[in-house]
Amino acid sequence: MLFKGKLKVQLLLCGALLCLTTIVKAQSTMDLRINEILVVNQSNYIDDFGQHSPWIEFFNSAYNTVDMGGLYLTNDLDNPTMYQIAKGNPTTKIAPQNYLVFWGDNQSTRGIRHLNFDLRTSKLVALFDANGRTLIDVVTLDQAHRTDTTFGRLNDGGATWGFLDKSTPGANNNTKTVITSAEKFGMVDPTGIGMAVIAMSVVFSALALLYGFFKNVAKLYTIDYSRLFARKKASATEKPADSPVEHTGEVNAAIAMALHLYRNQLHDNENTVLTIRKVSRTYSPWSSKIYGVLNNSR
Amino acid sequence: MEHQSFLGFITDHLGQFLGYTAFANMTVGHLIMIAIGLIFIYLAIAKEYEPMLLVPIGFGILVGNIAFFPGLKVGIYESGSVLNYLYFGVLQGVYPPLIFLGIGAMTDFSALISNPKLILIGAAAQLGIFGAYALALALGFSPSEAGAIGIIGGADGPTAIFLSSKLAPDLMGAIAISAYSYMALVPVIQPPIMRLLTSKKERLIRMKPPRAVSKREKAIFPIAGLLLTCFIVPTGLPLLGMLFFGNLLKESGVTKRLADTAKGPLIDIVTILIGLTVGASTQATTFLTAKSVGIFALGAASFVVATTGGVLFVKFLNLFLKEGNKINPLIGNAGVSAVPDSARVSQVVGLEYDKTNHLLMHAMGPNVAGVIGSAVAAGILLSFLF
Repeated sequence: MLFKGKLKVQLLLCGALLCLTTIVKAQSTMDLRINEILVVNQSNYIDDFGQHSPWIEFFNSAYNTVDMGGLYLTNDLDNPTMYQIAKGNPTTKIAPQNYLVFWGDNQSTRGIRHLNFDLRTSKLVALFDANGRTLIDVVTLDQAHRTDTTFGRLNDGGATWGFLDKSTPGANNNTKTVITSAEKFGMVDPTGIGMAVIAMSVVFSALALLYGFFKNVAKLYTIDYSRLFARKKASATEKPADSPVEHTGEVNAAIAMALHLYRNQLHDNENTVLTIRKVSRTYSPWSSKIYGVLNNSR
Repeated sequence: MEHQSFLGFITDHLGQFLGYTAFANMTVGHLIMIAIGLIFIYLAIAKEYEPMLLVPIGFGILVGNIAFFPGLKVGIYESGSVLNYLYFGVLQGVYPPLIFLGIGAMTDFSALISNPKLILIGAAAQLGIFGAYALALALGFSPSEAGAIGIIGGADGPTAIFLSSKLAPDLMGAIAISAYSYMALVPVIQPPIMRLLTSKKERLIRMKPPRAVSKREKAIFPIAGLLLTCFIVPTGLPLLGMLFFGNLLKESGVTKRLADTAKGPLIDIVTILIGLTVGASTQATTFLTAKSVGIFALGAASFVVATTGGVLFVKFLNLFLKEGNKINPLIGNAGVSAVPDSARVSQVVGLEYDKTNHLLMHAMGPNVAGVIGSAVAAGILLSFLF
């Protein structure tokens, strides 16, 4: 058998690990989230026409750019294709972890980011995929009618909704001091011992995996397949195979050097010997005198 | 308006010009940095300590510390200056992966493939990184700064520059200079630790000669290496990806021209640019701080811990290995990825005790494993601290 039990299990485990880790979640329009809404805008954010219009902010929770062009916005789930966002416009693209604001003012002639329905008279707002059937996100606006106070996710893309302390169109909803991941890690592990243990384990795991792989690959390469077949034949004819002879690299080098010297020395005494060798030319019609020019003149 | 006399005109403009010269803007700090640059150049030319790195860095220090009148767009930190454009490759981490491409194209992983357990020594030596990280935290550096400083223990200049450009760009000059300085000082730092931690009997251990490695195994190595390491630490992809790609160019046997370019002109160009700009980034005003002194102290400590980790791990491994298969602990130091200097140190120290015991080939295994290990470690630090 080519693979023995233990080796087979190890290879199967490696294969399973690779298969599991290749199952990755696709990043697409499904990563868009309705993030913040202001329905009653009296003295808040002003649109490009100087109006205090209701607005809605979308957040791209993915780590790649997502284009909202072609998607549908509606305030009626029975009519999902109420407003289609124009395609092929660079302003509808949202960078990773970034935001885009639309105006829910029922003034769609003012630009592609002005919707054809008014948030003030809407009970909900929903985002549908470009096929007009797949619901990406929906929010009911029953509680959102507080003047100049935005209703949104407490953390960008998070599940919890509420009224926000500050309106943040096009910015992070969480306005509290942001603690970097490094600072968080430092608070949890102030001595660095945790980092040392985790990181050394990961370094060892990565290199141990490499070690395990090449140890087994080396086994495959060191199998003498010709001898394996020879052994089968031998067992068939009931003749015992010769025991394998293993030489170290030094012994092999010595044998190679001896052979090299032997072959070089073969000619040492022949340099002064005269050799008489019969020179013979094989017949060819191209060089034959029979077909020479002189024959014709005769 | 009264006309200025010609002499007055000359005097005024000469005075103005003198105000622009380095003499007028020079500080003691600049002079100290110029002295350091000259020492680097001296060490490189007279002592031949890492000349390929220390000459560009040393000259870069001179370039960066010629005092100038601010606002003329000549300094490396002045937006729009030529040096600033060249420095972009350092700040954005462009140069280090390109250097790794060249390193991959010139590295022979045969020693590692023939004796895979040597890979683990390359992992053990990364202890220096995390030892220095803990020490840096204790000295009051922030976690991001500590991570960037810790990577000095990986003894890999490009990795140190790559990580510090992400985690602590302000400290990058000091970290890069510290990393390259200690890499050049590997023959001085490591031997006493190796002697201290090993017995005479251990130093005389003879290792089995490595088996021949087939061409196919060499070609499989970069592919398997990339998949197995980057699936665990994807953040190491810029460095590991380029390292293994360069190695595949070399070992595939069908892309000789590309491999030659990667390990020749490309790595030379990038080394010139990275050396000069990193050197020039050490302007006295940003470099001569108490933090830089701390970074140099931590750099030395990280090399000591890394060497200790490698040597002690081999001794630990030997407890489980049969007689005849034991590993000479003098190759443990080679786990730090200063290629090939730390492997040369193993060879030199080994020959001191047995003139016929050549350890170089064996030491190259953990040495190249150290390159992979330090890139993996950088990826881990990046995932937690970036």
